[in-house]
Amino acid sequence: MRSHVKLSAVVATGLVAALAGCGGTSGPATGSGGGTNTAASGDCSSAEVFCVGLVTDVGKVDDKGFNQAAWEGVEQVKGELGAQTKYVETTDPKDYAKNIKQFTDAKYDVIVTVGFLMADATRAAGKQYPNTKFIGFDQFQADPVVPNVTGLIFHEDQAGYAAGFLAGSMTKSNKIGVVLGQEIPPTQAYAAGYENGAKAANPAVSVSKVYHPAGNTAFNDPVWGAGEAKKMLAQGADFIFGAGGGTGNGALQETAKTSGAGDKVFCIGVDLDQWDTLPAAHPCLITSAEKHEKDGIGELLKQIKGNTVKPGNFFGTAGISPFHDFDSKVPADVKTKVADVVKKLEDGSLATGYKP
Amino acid sequence: MEWLKRNQITVGAGLVILVAAYVFYAVNSNVATSMFSGAWFFAVPLVLGALTGVVGERSGVVNIGIEGQMLVAAFAAFFSAAATGSLIVGVLVGMLAGIAMGAFLALTTVKGLMDQIIAGVVINIVATGLTSFFYRPGKVLSANMPQWEVPLLSKIPLIGDVFFQSGPIALFALVSVPVVHFALFRTRWGLRTRSIGEYPSAADTAGIDVIRMRLVNVTIGGIFAGAAGAYLSMEATGGFERGMTAGRGFLALAILIFGGWRPLRVFAAALFFGFTNALASQLQGVISIPQQFITLLPYLLTLIVLAVAAGRVRAPAAVGQPFVKGEGS
Repeated sequence: MRSHVKLSAVVATGLVAALAGCGGTSGPATGSGGGTNTAASGDCSSAEVFCVGLVTDVGKVDDKGFNQAAWEGVEQVKGELGAQTKYVETTDPKDYAKNIKQFTDAKYDVIVTVGFLMADATRAAGKQYPNTKFIGFDQFQADPVVPNVTGLIFHEDQAGYAAGFLAGSMTKSNKIGVVLGQEIPPTQAYAAGYENGAKAANPAVSVSKVYHPAGNTAFNDPVWGAGEAKKMLAQGADFIFGAGGGTGNGALQETAKTSGAGDKVFCIGVDLDQWDTLPAAHPCLITSAEKHEKDGIGELLKQIKGNTVKPGNFFGTAGISPFHDFDSKVPADVKTKVADVVKKLEDGSLATGYKP
Repeated sequence: MEWLKRNQITVGAGLVILVAAYVFYAVNSNVATSMFSGAWFFAVPLVLGALTGVVGERSGVVNIGIEGQMLVAAFAAFFSAAATGSLIVGVLVGMLAGIAMGAFLALTTVKGLMDQIIAGVVINIVATGLTSFFYRPGKVLSANMPQWEVPLLSKIPLIGDVFFQSGPIALFALVSVPVVHFALFRTRWGLRTRSIGEYPSAADTAGIDVIRMRLVNVTIGGIFAGAAGAYLSMEATGGFERGMTAGRGFLALAILIFGGWRPLRVFAAALFFGFTNALASQLQGVISIPQQFITLLPYLLTLIVLAVAAGRVRAPAAVGQPFVKGEGS
């Protein structure tokens, strides 16, 4: 019996050790996408080497969502700026500060932190390391601003409005739905924009919306999202907007499986063009409410490199993605109207009615 | 008659709920059907996960690794289905993965006498690490899981729509509940299983091979968690996401206790939880109070029911205690 105790202890320790070995959270910048210029790994503390570090929100850089978009944005301008890039993936919200510190310790020039939930940790780090520039992705900077922290903000309500306008114009049942992650300002903005956009196109439309109840799994619960989409579809909705990371993806996948998907029932992706990232949703994915995140990150990095960056908030653009295979299913007059709405939102002549 | 007298509260409550459900159905069949369907959709993995718990804990082995078992199975099922293009292979591999994880728990705790809680934690951690590490995005199932309609039964209003028009794994769950219940309380295997979970040394004296039986039960019990995992990644959604079990394994543990370690009650408890969940999301946006209060509902109602009705549940006496032949207990 004794030997059994020892054996199982050894087995367990071995497994845990193996796990620690392979489950490490920091990964080197593997040249995904256009990062051709792999600058010789220099010392980030020297002035010549421009180092950009990225800390993800809980999730991975291939999450088909905003972490991926942020990382791709960094990689997109890497060559042009001659930057050296690296990311750290957060697995637990408690590690935000610790993960940022990995980059400040290595004297990185710019640190990108992804997600609204990391706002406090980013501002704290900004105050502590005044010589490092921070980009807070999705982090609205309220006064007083920290001089070296710039929030990269998108008008989610504008993207949601454009998507809602499309759904409102095309719905036959006058019922549309939206499945969201946790109730935080970005999701609230998407929901409000979607609802107002739909009503602007079609006053008779009714919008059902639902937020994920739990905190820690709210953006990573596709099964719940699928269940909610199923319920909305059964109650007559013919457009489902999935806006909440993995949770929203579940809603899109469920819509894609419904009978009539792509003919009578459609779904709308979120954050980036999900046509490229979520093939399982192709049967219904008419468009995505898109924040032009890659371009926003690239633009800000260029500003930092050129020393023209301003503290406070930088607004990236938002709109909807191409229709891809659904191009022929969207009536021409709807296309014109939606394009007009996007244009008016961008130049500020149309308000979405969302108050942050 | 005797049985009715003993269970009059349960039967009464069941009838009241059934009548209420049909009144609701008569008022608005569309909303009622979608909500009860939503409840069952949510409850399937909880029922299956809890059945793994029932089989294990009735044999005297605590299993807090259900979450990990489900996660590994969800992973294995989806990726093998995506790689081979066969849904059947996916489901079978998912079940086998559940069994393999069950075997790990059985070997370490029953043979190796490792602490059962620690073994469960190990399973959960290993599952999270392995599935995150080997996850590859962009894979798609070649086809959707079929929707089966059970002849005749699916024609029943409401009940037919909710339970008898669903995917194969949901139907498997529906069949498993009475089967496990019958096996546990009406067969020789069940009597022996309960005896090794209540008083293993007495069972040992009576000539039952406690060690072997626990090994087999805990291993085979993994099939339900495996099916739950396959349900999550293949039937409920069409893809695997990291950490997609989202605490359902732990919820299944709570359902197991809520259901008093009895499959039929576990089924009722899971449905109840599923329904309050559907109710909470249905009420969001209808009632103008902050949604956080509405989403408390499932937990609040569960708490109330636990306090009022289920206060008398008792765990198998020997659960959590390793059995060593000759050392008594």
